[in-house]
Amino acid sequence: MTLQTNGATGGKWHARYPELGTGPVPIEPYISLEYFEKEREHIFRKVWLNVGRVEQIPEPGDYFVKDLAVCRTSVIIVRGHDGQVHAFHNMCSHRGNPVVWNAKGTCKMFTCRYHSWTYGLDGTLRHIPDEKNFYGIKKDAHGLTPVAVDTWEGFIFINVDPRPKETLREYLGAAGESFEGYPFAEMATGCSTWEVDVNANWKVCKDAFQEVYHIFSLHNKSTGAAFASTSNPYLNVHELALFGPHARISVPANLDWKPTPVEALARRYGMLALQKQGSSSQGMPSGVNPTASPDWSFSGLIYFPNMCLFVADGGIIMHTMWPLSENRTHWEARTYFPKAKTLAHRFSQEYSRATFVDGVLVEDGGTFEKTQSMLASGAKKQVILGDEELLIRHHHKVTEQFFNA
Amino acid sequence: MSKRQLPEGFQDLEPYLEWSLATDRERSIKRQTSPMTKITAFYQAVVPRMDEILAYLEQYPLEQVPADAQRLFYLTLSLAKIAPAVEMYGEPVPEGLDTLRLENIDIYPTRS
Ligand code: FES
Ligand SMILES: [Fe+2]
Repeated sequence: MTLQTNGATGGKWHARYPELGTGPVPIEPYISLEYFEKEREHIFRKVWLNVGRVEQIPEPGDYFVKDLAVCRTSVIIVRGHDGQVHAFHNMCSHRGNPVVWNAKGTCKMFTCRYHSWTYGLDGTLRHIPDEKNFYGIKKDAHGLTPVAVDTWEGFIFINVDPRPKETLREYLGAAGESFEGYPFAEMATGCSTWEVDVNANWKVCKDAFQEVYHIFSLHNKSTGAAFASTSNPYLNVHELALFGPHARISVPANLDWKPTPVEALARRYGMLALQKQGSSSQGMPSGVNPTASPDWSFSGLIYFPNMCLFVADGGIIMHTMWPLSENRTHWEARTYFPKAKTLAHRFSQEYSRATFVDGVLVEDGGTFEKTQSMLASGAKKQVILGDEELLIRHHHKVTEQFFNA
Repeated sequence: MSKRQLPEGFQDLEPYLEWSLATDRERSIKRQTSPMTKITAFYQAVVPRMDEILAYLEQYPLEQVPADAQRLFYLTLSLAKIAPAVEMYGEPVPEGLDTLRLENIDIYPTRS
């Protein structure tokens, strides 16, 4: 494969990862039901997936339920009496009803709504009403079916593979390690989430968060000028780095950006989630501003398959894309931020949320369904990727490896 | 004379009380359904007072905010909501996904 010779900058990242090539990428993975089914079986039912954070279930008996259509199951995540996080398929041993119907709560036992079979927080079957009506049933053998669960830096991951090939830590590898020590727990004392079902393939969503080439254009009215500068008009990134299935991205800031009046007010009373100029990565782990650039805004862990975790000086932004079908996705966008201490601090965070909604949910989100409808048109068979879009190329390559494993 | 709605010293903002809305969804709808002239008038009235307002609000512990201060606080949240319309877009909402499709949940703290 030869590089373009049109005088463009293309090639910087390619030179580091020549094995990824430079050719166009097929559209089929974005529109094919068959391809989606392969992603389900070879990826989503095999790897560790982030379903939340430990702050959601601080006390024994606190639980939440995560419906994972792509894994064909629903999972209960609960803090047990032992203080540990446990996960179970949300399925009653009696006749299969989901044991928990609400999205979250606190309880001492799980009681199935259908016939009131009761399970402990450790999943063991404790009580069968009118037990003598059953045929010598052994309660020990009919607990809830466990799901592998582990935590990393306060994030809860599950793996529906009954025998995961790797531990969470092994799977996270060096990419995860390079973010360990970021003050996740301190930053994540507050959390807002926005959820929406969009008519688009999950990778159409993910792709918007694994390149920042679009910022100067799509976000020209909002954040564009705060990131892109006269010396870096197309926001070429500080770093793209690959670590097995995962990747890392580190994004510059425009140090000449003059905050708008309300942005300036908001900053005075607290850091903003997507901090632009004036960010500091001092004392942060090696994956956060890995190039130690003075003009740094945020860095991201692009976790395979479906999570983009961005950390900044002022907070955390995270996107998770849950495929529902080949052209439908449940998109969760979150901001984690320290719990506000004053009303002024709350105002500051509200501004941060408002600009996040406009600049990300609305502007990025606005492309998803439009793009999907044209990808599905059949007018073209492939898309073109530039050097700054390396991570999109990488995602497709990793997928192939999973399919062939 | 009608009853004072905003704290002493902020009554001049009472004509903008329609922006004092308790939920994020109400504020989103208000932004979406207001013409730019109204949004801009609200922005211009509140921005010059913000230093004073935030300093005033800072005196209250989060759990003990009197009703008049709470109304004033909700005005600041509406300002946060509409600021991008004035400062960035020049129209009530940017082009893209309809925010009313979003389900916004503060997942936690569910307890303090
Ligand atoms: S299905 Fe759960 S008790 Fe019958
Ligand atoms: Fe974007």
